[in-house]
Amino acid sequence: MPEETIGQHLKRQGISRRDFVKMCGLLVGAMGLRYAPPLDESGLPTHLDHARGFTSASFVANALENKQRVPVIWLEFQDCAGCSEALTRSQSPTLVDLVLNTITVEYHETLSAAAGFQAEQAKQDAMKKYAGKYVLVVEGSIPTDNDGVYCTVGGRTAVDLLKEAAAGAAAIIATGNCASFGGIPKAKPNPTGAKSVLDLVTDKPVVNIPGCPAIPEATTGTIAHFVVFGALPELDSLHRPMPFYGNTIHDRCLRRPFYEAGQFANSFDDEGAKKGWCLYKLGCKGPTTYNACATIKWDQGLSFPVQSGHPCLGCSEPNFWDGGGFYQGQSAPLDRPTIAVVGAAAAAGAVVGVGVAAANRMQKKSAKVEKGE
Amino acid sequence: MTMNWENVLEFARGPFFQVALLVFVAGMFYRLVRVLALGWKPDRVKAKGSKVGGIAVSFLKGIIIWPFIPWVKNTFSRNPIIYLAGGLFHLGLFVVIFLGTAHMLVWKSLIGVGWPTLALPIVDWFAAGAIVAMIALLINRFVNPVLRLLSGPAEWLNWLIVFLPMVTGYMMTHHLWFPYETLFSLHMLAVDVLLIWIPLSRISHFMFYFFSKAIHGADFGKRAVTP
Repeated sequence: MPEETIGQHLKRQGISRRDFVKMCGLLVGAMGLRYAPPLDESGLPTHLDHARGFTSASFVANALENKQRVPVIWLEFQDCAGCSEALTRSQSPTLVDLVLNTITVEYHETLSAAAGFQAEQAKQDAMKKYAGKYVLVVEGSIPTDNDGVYCTVGGRTAVDLLKEAAAGAAAIIATGNCASFGGIPKAKPNPTGAKSVLDLVTDKPVVNIPGCPAIPEATTGTIAHFVVFGALPELDSLHRPMPFYGNTIHDRCLRRPFYEAGQFANSFDDEGAKKGWCLYKLGCKGPTTYNACATIKWDQGLSFPVQSGHPCLGCSEPNFWDGGGFYQGQSAPLDRPTIAVVGAAAAAGAVVGVGVAAANRMQKKSAKVEKGE
Repeated sequence: MTMNWENVLEFARGPFFQVALLVFVAGMFYRLVRVLALGWKPDRVKAKGSKVGGIAVSFLKGIIIWPFIPWVKNTFSRNPIIYLAGGLFHLGLFVVIFLGTAHMLVWKSLIGVGWPTLALPIVDWFAAGAIVAMIALLINRFVNPVLRLLSGPAEWLNWLIVFLPMVTGYMMTHHLWFPYETLFSLHMLAVDVLLIWIPLSRISHFMFYFFSKAIHGADFGKRAVTP
């Protein structure tokens, strides 16, 4: 019997036509379809680039009705499960439901009912059954020091598990800063030799969805993009999908006018903070942080850190834990030499100066002696 | 590791900045000691006035009075472009470096003390003024035959190394043409190069100006001939 399509699956679950169309619209929005890649071969009308709403939604509807479900295998390594947590609490139930239930997560340690060897067996079965077809989602960094002993599941190291799962994956999505760039496990002094997925997997398409946690809509939107188009969205130089990481927090910040006007909060409870002025002086990393917080926001668009009065930490950028302090202005240098080192440099300069001056004087004297003065 | 602007920025704000700062400090102390070691000839003139008074008058006139009544000085009437553009450049540089918010935060992180700053649009006009002034000075240097003869590679390099941080900083503030972190990286690289270049070049006059002003002021004061 042929595998049922997503449309058939939804119908069986009792999703009405109206709800289905709503879902498709939601997906179109979530995927930011303005960035749709040129997909003539896969049947996407070329005018989709300019069309939003009905045309792209109907395209998505068409794809969902006729495509088979894409299995997802979700691995967790050195993580806090915060990205999974964010997904399950994302408050956009239709979207998450669509992605988690409909598109099918075959293996997820935190969410699965099965445990232990049963779960591992289920994963092995899924990897065999869907070889070359499944999407691998990785959450958490991968320790490599001491043969990777710092993170093992069922007696096997994270490196081993990642390589095994990556071998049969159609595409890999690294969710959260840890999987994307190493995150907090990789912060100085990186005791476990933590690495990102991209550091270890070089022969498969990898998308990074960094963030701490990753914005759930960005993760699901990227998975949805893969389901609908059979391809990953356009990526930036750090392998982040452009629809979600095309702008900085600063670019879309609601406090931006205060930045331009030079109106800054100087502390967390001064007049400026109460009036909602710019948080640049309190260490905001918004200008160099690419993420969708300022537009998609969190908890169904309720708010995001800067709106709530806290500077952006830059959690979707590499090495943000070692970025020179969360509350230090971004223009400040990352490292400062200590007073002792500066003093030593000054002393060294002075000593060389005295030496050269003395040498010059001696030369002058001996020249005078030679001349017989 | 793939090369991207985040790595460049980390390098330029981190280790490279630190090295540049230490080279700057060591270099300036070297220069200072070399100048001091030149020594003073004994001055046996009988004091007719106060040395300290001479120094004070010299600084007051040089910084607060002459810039606002430039026409009484020969320097102005002979070279109005250099006088005006040079003045505008130095004023703009001072405002940007000390009264721009981003730069104040750099000082705060280095010396631990912050101060109130001007709004971005105001600092912006000073920055634009300084950049225009620098371009005017460059053209003047090209066009004026005497200046052109006096200019060697060091003079052209001085101009370029001071100009690059200014123009990248301006572009960065206005998000012109390139992504912010690209311009931020270029700005920091340019600043690091400038820090290293200062002690090797005549840009070190930012320190020696005050020395020469003080020494001449003291001489004038002692002889009671303060101009």
